[in-house]
Amino acid sequence: MRLPRFEYLRPETLGQALSLLAVHKDDAKILAGGTDLLVRMKKGLLKPKALISLKALNELSYIKKEDACIKIGAGASLADIIASDIIQKEAKALFQACGKVGAITLQHYTGTIGGNILQDNRCHHYNQSGLHRSGRQACHKDGGKICYARDEADRCNSTCQSDGATALMALGAGITLARKGGERTIDLADFYTTDGIMPFAIESHELLKEIIIPVQGAKSAYTRLAYRSAIDYPIVCAGVLLKPSDTQKDKIDEARIVVGAIARSPLFLVRESSSLKGKNLNDTDAFKKAADSSMNSASTFAVHNVGSTLKYRCDMVSEMVFQALKKSARAALPTKE
Amino acid sequence: MEKILITLNINDKPCEVMVYPNDTLLEVLRDELDLTGSKESCGEGVCGSCTVHMDNKPVRSCLTLAMEATGTKIKTVEGLASGDDLSDLQQSFIDHGAVQCGFCTPGMLMSADALLKDNPRPDEKTIRKALAGNICRCTGYAKIIEAVAHTDNPQDQCPDCKTGSKTKE
Ligand SMILES: Cc1cc2nc3c(=O)[nH]c(=O)nc-3n(C[C@H](O)[C@H](O)[C@H](O)COP(=O)(O)OP(=O)(O)OC[C@H]3O[C@@H](n4cnc5c(N)ncnc54)[C@H](O)[C@@H]3O)c2cc1C
Ligand code: SF4
Ligand code: FES
Ligand code: FES
Repeated sequence: MRLPRFEYLRPETLGQALSLLAVHKDDAKILAGGTDLLVRMKKGLLKPKALISLKALNELSYIKKEDACIKIGAGASLADIIASDIIQKEAKALFQACGKVGAITLQHYTGTIGGNILQDNRCHHYNQSGLHRSGRQACHKDGGKICYARDEADRCNSTCQSDGATALMALGAGITLARKGGERTIDLADFYTTDGIMPFAIESHELLKEIIIPVQGAKSAYTRLAYRSAIDYPIVCAGVLLKPSDTQKDKIDEARIVVGAIARSPLFLVRESSSLKGKNLNDTDAFKKAADSSMNSASTFAVHNVGSTLKYRCDMVSEMVFQALKKSARAALPTKE
Repeated sequence: MEKILITLNINDKPCEVMVYPNDTLLEVLRDELDLTGSKESCGEGVCGSCTVHMDNKPVRSCLTLAMEATGTKIKTVEGLASGDDLSDLQQSFIDHGAVQCGFCTPGMLMSADALLKDNPRPDEKTIRKALAGNICRCTGYAKIIEAVAHTDNPQDQCPDCKTGSKTKE
């Protein structure tokens, strides 16, 4: 499969990369590991005039702890994240999520966390060859006016299958977007649009620079379901975070439940999360209730466009959330002497 | 769009080659440098038959631009043997019948070689994980896993280690 033609640009500093982005804007795409972008280009889903490679740009590949936060450069590889002590100890959900992405030989060494967050949404009607797509009218995401996944849909409901983003949202992460002459930091949970055609609220001249995870004495966990244990994208996944109270170590002070691979973006379920405040860390009944309620809330956003049947994926939301809650509660419970 | 002259370090030899920006490393290896060991099957990252080493790490050459490989050390399946002398891993694949049509084999070898460099005596679970990105459609995985496990650790009760020419000693 040939790639379409493009101009290859290789800036050596972040400043140069931002200047190139400011000039090329929509005509250019950032090339990180390429394990998402190049596949889409091969299928003819996009034809950027230029690719701006991050290969020569070492300043974006770091993982460090600073001001009660973990800071990860967007160019850090999944392998670096998996190997990091800081991530293993203090951002377990991200460690578990990155370990599950595709396969070691596919993206652990080349794939980046920035590319993982910004990989495009997917849909089995859209992520197909040009030949396949040419046999029928184009859907919204392909420049047309219909949707094959949901009748009468006025927009695209393609699915965000990023393992990393689901875990990071559970960890309450923020992201820094840099542009020529400035930058802004927002919550990852506010980074998503309401249309799967362009799922991210990023400007064409902006670059994802850094991911910031607050460290708050909480425990997190990530669970996911896929057909095979490797190579396959998740068909439903969950990231959760449980913060024990400072005064009563076996009580939950704050919880975050995020369900992924079911909607246009990972879903931070506010109601289910707050239902666990004040509950005991071994209150599995409360976990079960929150998990079932998560299933109901997430199901309203779900569309049958990746992997298995919609019913199965929705049913499994409850199981994924329940297991993730139990895992992180186990880690958060004070150890008995 | 014009071709650009780049230098790649392949199997410890510098190679000058003219490439288009949209050439993948796999295309350059096979079509320009006649290194046809690495195979293209899916072309979209799924199967692993195009696996090569980039700075000692296994990567998909079908999803790597040739331009991105400049300044790195590339090793292909052709770089495993020294002359006619097969590497222990390659010999173990033969001895254990881990090759049928052979299309997945170069990728399997490169993924396994990277694993054995880090961990010469991996257990089955570790091997399965390291090879999880490589699909085989005919041999099945049992013989391949055995071949990797017994490369540096021949087993008395394994008939293939016994009959093998190199691994038996
Ligand atoms: C067979 C297969 C299986 C896969 N399985 C999984 C899976 O299980 N889970 C999963 O999460 N992913 C999966 N992926 C998708 C992908 O490989 C990973 O998400 C990977 O982490 C993407 O990172 P990358 O660096 O290769 O991204 P790239 O392909 O380089 O980039 C992805 C997108 O992000 C943009 N981008 C990248 N970095 C930046 C930046 N710093 N600023 C602005 N824009 C940027 C690019 O322009 C592009 O649009 C799979 C892919 C394949 C081919
Ligand atoms: S959800 Fe609908 S519009 Fe979006 S990619 Fe799928 S078929 Fe196209
Ligand atoms: S040809 Fe590269 S992964 Fe299949
Ligand atoms: S030997 Fe034929 S695909 Fe593996």
